[in-house]
Amino acid sequence: MIGLGIIILNILVAVMAPWIVTHDPMKIDIRNRVSAPSGVFFFGTDDYGRDIFSRVIYGARISQYITILSVVVAAVLGVVIGAIAGYYGGWIDNVIMRVMDAIMSFPAILLAIGIMSVRGGDLYNVVIALGFVYIPRFARIIYGSVLSLKEKEFVEASLAMGNSDIIILFRHILPNCTAPLIVQATVSLAYAILAEAALSFLGLGAPPPTPSWGNILSDARNFMVDAPWMTVFPGIAITIAVMGYNLFGDALRDFLDPRLK
Amino acid sequence: MIKFIVKRILYILPTLFLVAFLVFFLVHLIPGDPALVMLGDEARPEAVKAIKEVLGLDKPLPIQFGLWIGKIVMGDFGISIHDNHPVLSSIADRFPVTLTLTSLATIFSILLALPCGIIAAMYQNSGKDYLFMGATILGVSIPGFWLGLMSLLIFSVYLGWLPSIGFVSIWEDFWQGLRYMLLPSITLGLYMAAVVARMTRSSMLEVLRLEYITHARGKGLTEWTVITKHALKNAFAPTLTTIGIQFGMLLGGAVVTETVFSLPGLGKYLVLAINDRDYPVVQGCILFIALIYMVINLAVDIFYSYFDPRIEYK
Repeated sequence: MIGLGIIILNILVAVMAPWIVTHDPMKIDIRNRVSAPSGVFFFGTDDYGRDIFSRVIYGARISQYITILSVVVAAVLGVVIGAIAGYYGGWIDNVIMRVMDAIMSFPAILLAIGIMSVRGGDLYNVVIALGFVYIPRFARIIYGSVLSLKEKEFVEASLAMGNSDIIILFRHILPNCTAPLIVQATVSLAYAILAEAALSFLGLGAPPPTPSWGNILSDARNFMVDAPWMTVFPGIAITIAVMGYNLFGDALRDFLDPRLK
Repeated sequence: MIKFIVKRILYILPTLFLVAFLVFFLVHLIPGDPALVMLGDEARPEAVKAIKEVLGLDKPLPIQFGLWIGKIVMGDFGISIHDNHPVLSSIADRFPVTLTLTSLATIFSILLALPCGIIAAMYQNSGKDYLFMGATILGVSIPGFWLGLMSLLIFSVYLGWLPSIGFVSIWEDFWQGLRYMLLPSITLGLYMAAVVARMTRSSMLEVLRLEYITHARGKGLTEWTVITKHALKNAFAPTLTTIGIQFGMLLGGAVVTETVFSLPGLGKYLVLAINDRDYPVVQGCILFIALIYMVINLAVDIFYSYFDPRIEYK
């Protein structure tokens, strides 16, 4: 419940961002550059005088947007790929799962870095990079579930009724795979926030001046000693967001597991 | 057993080919012309054409791929566009730093995770267990690079206990080397420690419920003997798989950690090469890291059999 609460809070903050922020997150104010937290600037300001509180709030919006979109892309493509491989078997299965193995042979962040270096820094490119990297995880989960479910009697019955493969897959088999799919989705959401922040930190994510949590931390590096507040608050924001998904995912896994048996 | 190893090696060959294919086409989609990068934007078209002929960049992509694969097999990873050094030798210079970092991170995380996971399992649902669960959730939620920055701030800048940047090899000066690697290793290893600790706890819980453990306790053995001699070996197999997978992920995480702590490792080399559009280096580094990752997974599969002899090799 705590996890769900945190997630909902994060999403609310992201959606309500324009009404919560105290300043324009892009507004440069050189007179107030690198100033400590105060009543006016709750989290202080950065090297351009931009309010860090407002940038962190808007960062929530950017991060949630990229994260959720990339996991949706990965889930949709992963489900289709895994379902086809599991259902049809044979050489289709071999080729598809070998390609999935090849993609999973890279540490995820490395592949994302590689893709971002090809496509350049842009919000949608981050979505594509992270989405691509997480496809095999969803594909494997669905592949395993479909393999075991396709031998069941209800599938045989559906075949006997003359239903096409697509109807059997999407109306009968896949609805029974939702439990592991949802658990994988929450795990991936947690990873994706960390990955997006890491990409932005390396300068390969959301392009400046877009306030992404990783971007803010990357800027903060040069002022770490003189202005530690620039480093502290975005990091806490990331930790809380990821913790929300992890707590929720853990609880969901425990809740759904007995039912699978 | 040997048959199993050979079979597994043969199995990864097609995957290896696919990996090389992915790397090659990924890098060749990078916008920007490497010939122009080498010669500068003001270069004459004839000079650009000549360089492309020398580097083989004027040939069709499939032929470039075939030539590249042929060279890789012979150990030639190409020459860096930036500094004209052979890529493989630059990788060989830098990989020991990355390996030291990931190995120390692994050792740290195992030393922390195993005892914590075992104790949490032994005292399930007690205060110790809840503290453990809270700590592991925090451990997997904290971004590694932020942890690195904060630990630099606290332990280097404010307390002055540890150096902030730089590298001394532990083979040249063990204690100095350890001082320089302590913060980066802990930063990199904490996530892994949390994951391994959770896996250890859940697999210990499963094993401790089994009848042979009750039997061992009934025989009057001390709890220490029950845990270390009977429970741990069976519980360790899934934990070992997790360690293996996480070690591979550490190779990716090392890229970020090396950037934070300015370590002269492979990860930092790769990030710089991407910014410089140095194709051969980017290709070589990504392929090399993927290879190492596959070798580690293979090693984990093989070692798994030591801990679980019930596995049959067909």
